[in-house]
Amino acid sequence: MGLPQSSKEERLAVNATISSPVRARPGWLMALGLWQLLFGLGSGVAMGMVASGTGIEVIGTPRLVLLGALGLAALLALLSVFDIWRLAHRGRLIAFVLNLILAAVAGFFTLQEVNVFNGLDALGANFGRGLPFLAVMAVGWLVSGWATGVRPEWERALLLTSRGLMAVGAGALLLSVGLLPGLWTFLTRIVQPPAVIFLAVAVLAVLVLRLVKSSQATAAFGSTSKQLEVIDGIAFVSPNILGFLAFLGGPLVISLFVSLTDWDGLGEASFIGLGNYIELLTDPFFHRSLLNILFFGVVAIPLSVIPALALASALNMKLPGMRVFRALYFLPAVAGVVGVALIWKQLYNATIGYINYALLQLTEFVNLIPGLELTAPQPQWLSNPSTAMLSMVIVFVFSTIGFNTVLFLAGLQGVPPTLYEAAELDGAGVWGKFRNITIPVLAPTTVFVSITTTILALQLFSEPFILNAPQLSPNGPDNATLTPVIYLYQNAFERFNQGYASAIGWVLFLVIFAITIVYFRTQREDGVLTS
Amino acid sequence: MTTEAARDKRRRQRRSILGKAGIYFVLSFFALLMVFPFVYMAASALKTPADTFRYPPKVLPRQAATVEVNGEERPLFLLPIDGIDTEVVLIEEGLEAGVFTDPVSPEEELAWPLSLALPTGELVTVDGESLEVYAVTVGDRSSELALKRNTVVGRFESTAGDETYAVVRTAPAAESVSAEWQNFSEVLQRPAMERALSNTILVTVLVVLGVLFTSIMGGYAFARINFPFRNAIFVTYLGSIMIPFIVVLVPLFQLMVAFDWIDHLGVLVWPFLFNAYGTFLMRQFFVGIPGELDESAVIDGATRWTILWRIYVPLSWPAIATLGTFSFLYAWNSFVWPLVAINTANTESYVLTIALRQLGGQAVESPNLIFAGIVIAVVVPISIFIAAQRYFVENVATSGIK
Repeated sequence: MGLPQSSKEERLAVNATISSPVRARPGWLMALGLWQLLFGLGSGVAMGMVASGTGIEVIGTPRLVLLGALGLAALLALLSVFDIWRLAHRGRLIAFVLNLILAAVAGFFTLQEVNVFNGLDALGANFGRGLPFLAVMAVGWLVSGWATGVRPEWERALLLTSRGLMAVGAGALLLSVGLLPGLWTFLTRIVQPPAVIFLAVAVLAVLVLRLVKSSQATAAFGSTSKQLEVIDGIAFVSPNILGFLAFLGGPLVISLFVSLTDWDGLGEASFIGLGNYIELLTDPFFHRSLLNILFFGVVAIPLSVIPALALASALNMKLPGMRVFRALYFLPAVAGVVGVALIWKQLYNATIGYINYALLQLTEFVNLIPGLELTAPQPQWLSNPSTAMLSMVIVFVFSTIGFNTVLFLAGLQGVPPTLYEAAELDGAGVWGKFRNITIPVLAPTTVFVSITTTILALQLFSEPFILNAPQLSPNGPDNATLTPVIYLYQNAFERFNQGYASAIGWVLFLVIFAITIVYFRTQREDGVLTS
Repeated sequence: MTTEAARDKRRRQRRSILGKAGIYFVLSFFALLMVFPFVYMAASALKTPADTFRYPPKVLPRQAATVEVNGEERPLFLLPIDGIDTEVVLIEEGLEAGVFTDPVSPEEELAWPLSLALPTGELVTVDGESLEVYAVTVGDRSSELALKRNTVVGRFESTAGDETYAVVRTAPAAESVSAEWQNFSEVLQRPAMERALSNTILVTVLVVLGVLFTSIMGGYAFARINFPFRNAIFVTYLGSIMIPFIVVLVPLFQLMVAFDWIDHLGVLVWPFLFNAYGTFLMRQFFVGIPGELDESAVIDGATRWTILWRIYVPLSWPAIATLGTFSFLYAWNSFVWPLVAINTANTESYVLTIALRQLGGQAVESPNLIFAGIVIAVVVPISIFIAAQRYFVENVATSGIK
């Protein structure tokens, strides 16, 4: 967060502290110590409440995590009181971290109580009206882009226009989407308890943060610039770390716990140990989904990696028009899986779709060879169990090949052109250069591309879900397109076996993890062999 | 010696031209495969429902052609005049006619008015049936044909004034390429679609701004500020990219239930303002900026906050554009989480992906509307991609591998 470090008054205060011969303990320092003492006691009380289950009821792993966190906070807070009294920098650091977390938590609860998070709905309801103004802002932004590289006297005018457009657009946008009524609702809600209490705590925490970070504190604690850097570092990574803990790390821990229960997502969960995992061992549907995804991966991954490698080396020849090709290949990755899948659904149509029509035309063409009388295959692509998964492969390859090509191209651009020139002098042909230069140089890229493609392939969900989903349980014909993630989805959100679904998720995670490690291993061995 | 070298050179040149042609052929073939579905999408979005079910399929949208005759829109038909298919208008209906056939090749039939056929009084046997022979005048030629049965035809006239006759019911209608632009407004009028569009824009803008903000902050910290366990934290955070989103799907859903965010738009925004990949991308870019810049700025009394936003950010537009495009595409196209977190009944919180998926199930009878919906959903990310391509492709990919 942006905490201005030194204002004029603060600098004067620093001079005052430095000039005094004895390191005095001013009033603000005592207040800080007292606040930290309160912090410690408060955490202790909260921990007691969680432990006894009065007031705050949390169960399972989250409860243990919360107990641990509160206990740690209490201990650290008390330690910081001691440090602050000793004027040791560590106290300042601890105070900073604890109050940062407190400010975030209290701020979160304030916004939650005031309903700001869900208030986005109100904004969404009016946002359509604001869209023209958003466009005005976008135009302003584009103008600022043009402003660089023109004549200086134009640049000024363009920059002014751009700023003006953006400011007017922003203002009009905010007014048109109902900023004023929104603010009024916010103000009326925030003065009511419990929001006002959370707000007070958050404001206090922020004030303490400012105090801890002030140059006055630097002087009093005698902190070095290295120690100050640590505080800055924590401040700068905190949005990421807190977000990660709240929305990824935390849920991950919960997920592990849930996978060991029979939770239905609503009622009581009872701990059943490895029960879910043992059930998975004998679940025919899960086995079917694993077999399906194995087939899918074995076919789809090479198909989206190997041609990408070839296309990239062709694009790397630096001939005219290559940028256009590169952009065209990238289109499917940009367009998004839902749109792409819906387009393919029409293409796959067995009676009027283009694919079967193309097959028919192709067969007629081949039949021009005298003596040949082939009948064109007209498969029911999506509803025939033997072609359903193949259809998914085609869509998957279609959407991933362009991205992989660009990744390979990036890897190729790191190859010094002299390498190819030297090979040409030695009389190497196109194939020789590809085999002896391109492939070895691209080994790390290939591993990277293969890993990302594998991770994507193992999580196959949207394609079968959209292509084979006229009904709620889209397993395709004869479960032919049942994938682990679809099975997970069905268990979690259709049958509400959330414990079982979590177990599926973890198994999938472990498989992905294992495959990634194997890929890295092979690369390392290759490296040893070639060097 | 020199002639041999020249010949060798010429051979090489010929080979390289052939090679280039081959490369362009392969690249174009793949490009066609990649682009065709989008061409098909764009063209089908402009079709009438019936046109989407046409077989054999035609790419361009077609409609029955009409022409104004005496202030009236009349359908055009496509009939052969002198062996050439010509656009003609129906002038007169209900003419007494016969179906004639050539006794030599009885499988060909011609419906022609009896007024242009003169009985010759002769009989001929076709397929074991005894038929009367007529002298039938077609254009300025007359030929002897056998009358199979009676029928009714209409008189058609081309713009050049040439006449021809055919059975009206089976006459092939002339078609012209024309677009049904109102498909787009029609699809936006369907429940949820227009709201889904504005919701998607709102969600995407917020996610992009949030991700840019947190990634710039975190990237700077990991690149330039020393603090304990910095590298360990960075590697752990980066490693979280490997966690499949699917693993946290259920617990994240439960967390959102606990926060009471499920079914609200915010559920698509707040958990996604943090991104390990973005932080990594920004860090990689910031590491390449000379560190002396901030050292001197620190001596001048600047805070890290000002250094970051005044020095680093203006130098990092390529990386920011890249990350912005990436998070834009990610947010705009995200499907699984909205599917889980937004109730099907709550169309107020729909985003385009789930609205489209629903449309795909509902509008089975009019695929043109589905395609119009896809075009709306796809045109924004594609334009953004084209605008940002310059940074996007070169930048991301390189930093993604290093």
